[in-house]
Amino acid sequence: MNISDCMKRNVISISANATVQMAAKTLISNHIGTLPIVDEEKRLIGLVRLRDLINLAMPDFVNLVDHIDFVTDFGAVENHKLDPDILFIPLTKIMKEPVSVDETSGLIRAAALFLDHQMSDLPVVDREAHLVGIASYVDIGLALMSNWDLTE
Amino acid sequence: MLPSILSTLIFIICLALIFSERLNRTIAALAAAVMMVAVGMIFGFYTEEQAVSNIDFNTIGLLFGMMILVALLEPTGFFQYLAVMVGKLSRGEPVRLLLLFGTITTLVSMFLDNVTTVVLIAPVTILICEILGLSSQPYLMAEALLSDTGGVATLVGDPPNVLIGSAAGITFVDFLTHSLPIVIVVWLVALGMLRYIFRKELAQTPTNLDALAKLKPANVLKDAKTARKIILVTLGAVFFFLLEEVLHIRPALVALGAASVALVWIRPSIQETLKRIQWDVLVFFAALFVVIGGMQAAGVLQGLASLIAQVKDLPPVLLGLILLWIVAVLSAVVDNVPITIALIPVIQGLGSTGIPIAPLWWALVFGAGFGGNGTIIGSTANIVVASMSEKTQTPITPRVWNRSGLPVMLGTCLVASVLYVILFSFISQ
Repeated sequence: MNISDCMKRNVISISANATVQMAAKTLISNHIGTLPIVDEEKRLIGLVRLRDLINLAMPDFVNLVDHIDFVTDFGAVENHKLDPDILFIPLTKIMKEPVSVDETSGLIRAAALFLDHQMSDLPVVDREAHLVGIASYVDIGLALMSNWDLTE
Repeated sequence: MLPSILSTLIFIICLALIFSERLNRTIAALAAAVMMVAVGMIFGFYTEEQAVSNIDFNTIGLLFGMMILVALLEPTGFFQYLAVMVGKLSRGEPVRLLLLFGTITTLVSMFLDNVTTVVLIAPVTILICEILGLSSQPYLMAEALLSDTGGVATLVGDPPNVLIGSAAGITFVDFLTHSLPIVIVVWLVALGMLRYIFRKELAQTPTNLDALAKLKPANVLKDAKTARKIILVTLGAVFFFLLEEVLHIRPALVALGAASVALVWIRPSIQETLKRIQWDVLVFFAALFVVIGGMQAAGVLQGLASLIAQVKDLPPVLLGLILLWIVAVLSAVVDNVPITIALIPVIQGLGSTGIPIAPLWWALVFGAGFGGNGTIIGSTANIVVASMSEKTQTPITPRVWNRSGLPVMLGTCLVASVLYVILFSFISQ
């Protein structure tokens, strides 16, 4: 079994000239966490993840503290308002280098990439880098476990 | 004459590169050290052996030993624990928060590295202020300014003290008798000035006091057992520092001994521990010793000393005050370590012309210690605090520094000068 056997072929993607606002709307209306960014020819050029958008809304100083578990109530920080300008940041400013696999790739390689990059969805491309599918961690994990002998 | 000019040139270029921030200070110093040895060998005024022997082991060893203790203490969460504890203790009252944050950073940085202390306490400070809806400016400024001020009080509080102590044979006890009393007064003045300068920010009403009460300090202290061991060892080190004159053991040996005891007791991963050592600082010191040693070998510093000695008729008090202010102003704009290392041989040179130099050492200690508060780049703690505050809504800009740090630096130097004059006969012993 390889990645193309367990991926979803109907991929929701977004174009590079979109803004944070458009990306957020797309994520919400489709209830997904990862948006591949593609050019006019559907070639994968970047990724924007839920995490990247949430990070924009987090006050910078929160990341200064290593372990936050001593704070049970963030008090005034909870009332921080999102800076409306953030919504109009072009996606190209915050997009990440795409992590993707070739459609012929095996499941172990895909699972290793997930663990390495702490992702929730992995875009799948053909030889010309066209986006052809996307596989979630659950898709790949369950496909991997389908080989396990669980009859006992 | 040529060796003097060349070696001075190397030193000045090195300082200029550090000051312009074109080159990291350790890289600049290392390059300058190599340059100095090469030029010295070509022109016959400096040898490799001389260069190596100029590296003061007592300074490097003391710094290294204390760094190991800090490297072991850092991952336990002890520093953050203290910050959360004092935050809770303040019950959100701004002036009390200022006093407690200032006091705790001072006390810790009197014995442990200022920069590490500030790096670990400042983020918690920012978080607590944000939870309370307060501007973090006054508290962060207090941490930077007061930790630098407090560091002047002990032999191990600040790197220039280590250098001066080693060169002049000033002991831990001498610091406690000569420097600590002055620092206490100066510290209180600095605190009072901060209270006044930030009176508007300190009049803010905190919100979410219950969120503060709900903080769980125990969750920060990840390894209480290790923290306790290191604090015990550090106190043991302080005890032996106090006995330097009785037992005739140099501080470097005490610090390295304490580090060894802690390492054997805790048995951490040594690679992880050594990774947290500030090697750049140690290399910077070693390289500067080589550079300044070259200038000394070329006769520059002796020349400078005899030049100053011409004003022999100057009353010693005045000479001390002039030194204090020159060093303070220089330390505000450039790193105080190169200045201290360069001035040590000059003062020793003055000593050989018969000028009493005991009070000059203290002038150097106070100038180098209090001067760094003057500008946003005056000390590493300042830079750290300013860059962290950029992530908040009330960043500490150079302008904020000029209306708070600069007056505090001038005020503390002024008070230190007055005390210096009043206590001059005592300081001269």
